[in-house]
Amino acid sequence: MGEALLAVTGIGKSYPGVHALDDVSLELRAGEVHALVGENGAGKSTLIKILCGAEQPNSGRLLVRGEPARFSGPGDARRAGVVTIFQELSTQPYLSVADNVVLGAEPTRPGNVLNRQKADDIARKALERVGGGSLPLRRKAGRLTTGQRQILEIARAIALDARVVIMDEPTASLPASDAERLLQTIDELRRSGCAILFVSHRLEEVRAIADRITVLRNGRRVGTGTPAEMSVDRMLELMVGRSMDDFFPWEARDLGDVVLDVEGLTRPPAFSDVSFQVRAGEILGVYGLVGAGRSEVMRAIVGADRLTAGTISLNGRVRDLRTPRHAVNAGVCYLPEERKADGLVLSASGRENMAMATWSAVSRLGFIRRNAFKARTDKLADELEIRGNINAPVATLSGGNQQKVVIGRWLARRPSVMILDEPTRGIDVGAKVQVYRHVQRLAAAGTAVIFVTSELPEVMHLSDRALVMAAGRVITELDRDELDEQRILAAAFAGGSASDPGAVNPR
Amino acid sequence: MQTETPRPESSDTGSASAAVGGSGSGFARSSMHLGLRTIGLPAGVLALIVIFAMQSSVFLTVANFQNVGLQAAALAMIAFGQCFVVLTAGFDLSVGATASLVSVVAAMAMQDFGIVPGVLVGVAAGACVGLVNGLVVARMDVAPFVATLAMLSVATGLGLMLSDGTPVGGLPSDFTALATQQVVGIPVPVVGAVVVFLAGLVTLHGTRVGRHIYAIGGNPDAARLSGIRVAAITTLTYVVCSAFSALGGLVLTARVGSGQPTFAGDLALQSITAVVIGGVSLAGGQGSIVGVAFGVLFVSILANGLNLLGVSSYTQMLVLGVALVVVVVADRRARARRSGR
Repeated sequence: MGEALLAVTGIGKSYPGVHALDDVSLELRAGEVHALVGENGAGKSTLIKILCGAEQPNSGRLLVRGEPARFSGPGDARRAGVVTIFQELSTQPYLSVADNVVLGAEPTRPGNVLNRQKADDIARKALERVGGGSLPLRRKAGRLTTGQRQILEIARAIALDARVVIMDEPTASLPASDAERLLQTIDELRRSGCAILFVSHRLEEVRAIADRITVLRNGRRVGTGTPAEMSVDRMLELMVGRSMDDFFPWEARDLGDVVLDVEGLTRPPAFSDVSFQVRAGEILGVYGLVGAGRSEVMRAIVGADRLTAGTISLNGRVRDLRTPRHAVNAGVCYLPEERKADGLVLSASGRENMAMATWSAVSRLGFIRRNAFKARTDKLADELEIRGNINAPVATLSGGNQQKVVIGRWLARRPSVMILDEPTRGIDVGAKVQVYRHVQRLAAAGTAVIFVTSELPEVMHLSDRALVMAAGRVITELDRDELDEQRILAAAFAGGSASDPGAVNPR
Repeated sequence: MQTETPRPESSDTGSASAAVGGSGSGFARSSMHLGLRTIGLPAGVLALIVIFAMQSSVFLTVANFQNVGLQAAALAMIAFGQCFVVLTAGFDLSVGATASLVSVVAAMAMQDFGIVPGVLVGVAAGACVGLVNGLVVARMDVAPFVATLAMLSVATGLGLMLSDGTPVGGLPSDFTALATQQVVGIPVPVVGAVVVFLAGLVTLHGTRVGRHIYAIGGNPDAARLSGIRVAAITTLTYVVCSAFSALGGLVLTARVGSGQPTFAGDLALQSITAVVIGGVSLAGGQGSIVGVAFGVLFVSILANGLNLLGVSSYTQMLVLGVALVVVVVADRRARARRSGR
């Protein structure tokens, strides 16, 4: 491994009220793929922003080839050979592939006229170096697949003479075959002497490609090591700061009868022919990528959207849950994916949000009994360990406590089926553990729980059984002992994308 | 983001809130508390009173305040109804037309059947208008602006058809006398407005339906997913709005002594002005009917004071428009300052 092309030492960054980074050091060496992993909110994005000049650190030093440097903007970083490829790709959809590669550094003839020949030349060379030689130079970038656009972005970095390439979750939205191709491209970059910072949530993949792995937690570096030193479980433990058993409190439970039985649920184009069952006391994990149709299925089950076909049975009886009201009254409760958009009335207090589905329980003849209302919401807040002022608008609570408020709304109804759609999105690690515990407790009390998630560790550690969905269908159903990352990801990408129809390709 | 927490001093700003609902039993106080969002509006009303009292010797007299009350009563009733709809993030442009239609219908019924049937028919007609508004908005998913604009036209046309475009006279004198009678010095229409206010206050803050209205205005998707009957309750708010407007129409009818098909032209905009000045968010889910009461007082006292000072009605319109923007901006600034610290 070569010299350190880019390094930070003792970097600190704080925003009003948050320590985003605290004393973080990291170096990127020539010919190295350095992976950066951590929970959402661990500081990965902030670190990337500092490395690419979009943000300035409050403390610590930035070194380019060992020399102290200062990036006062992304332009400085680019000139120093540091190119960042963000998750939201910045290709121009209406420009051609070649124009995209040279964008911002177009070769010109005298008089500032574009030298198209030279542009094509630069673009072809750059694309060939990153395994994209087959991309037609004249095609509009908007017509490429996501994977092809990733490669186009990397070619752009090459054309800019990048020595350091920073990639923020480049494989997150790629099907397996495209991800594979991208990893090959990264490997080629490495061999040509670039330093690569690779951010990913897919821990198996990280171990396969990286030379070194750095784990961040709560803005601090909690470990750096080779893939041999960093098993997936080790990384997870470092990421969450506690042992896996402690983090995911799973216990075997006695399962009861089938409570919810859905058959042939269809609502084109979102999903079709979805069937599954959930038993009392069971936690059914539902995994899939964004757009797999998971939330749409759940919304249809609770009557928020219409089904065009299929039946829903509760305790053996076919039910017509036409509206969320019918579902709630039948004991089927739904915690929506978008907490702020669909879950909370942000301007109302925490108490009101908790009481929203159960006003009738605290009122008589339509008039609210204030003491009952207060007692009930106090009890819920206590049970859920909600921190913060529940009399204030719920918007003032932290994400984790907001989520607990929505959970509290449904706990009060003692649901027979509880559907949780991404319940831990955007909440801190401590709150996650609490949410997991409540899910366990709910199941232990006999509720049939459906846990929708796009976090692999969650589906693997929390569920008794898991469905994997892709392209609106259930691809496979896995028992707890069959749950591993490869298998789940292979199924999740099985729905295929336009680029590789029907590729079921466990690597 | 609305992040203000009611401070202790804010609970004694609105005397109405303290008197009516401030039980202080630890009831959730952010959106359920009955006071105002800031002390600005009561202070503004007080400032108007002080200014006009210094400028005009007539202003600070019992007779003048009876006069203000009489003039404000109809607008108050309509604004309280408007408040229900605005809390669900809608608004009703047809309230004035509804009041006119009710005026005609009630006057015709009164001629034939007497006062009580006339009043009942009038309120029922108003409720029907509201039911149609509500169904068109909530069931057919038509924007409130369009639905109530259409109703503005329909109700106006209907009133003119029924009355042939002329006032409906011959009302029982007992009815017209109500406009001038007093109960312990308070004009009957003012008593009526207070009753409507109390009914609105109890409904919005003390009942399940009231909490559902706030939830729907705050986030209709969350409300629906929580099993709240969003369409039914939204419809109900339009019915309440039109029924309250009908009462306002009856007050106006008593005052002018005849059923008038055209007298209520700008009541819609006036009522929305009062609601907005009262601190109810047009985005829904925030604000209080107590604020609306102060909004009505502000608008009415402003008009009365300017009249006494001999300011022309043209200039008054200009002043009202400027006051609307000033009050709204000041209110927003005050809240931003409080949530900022």
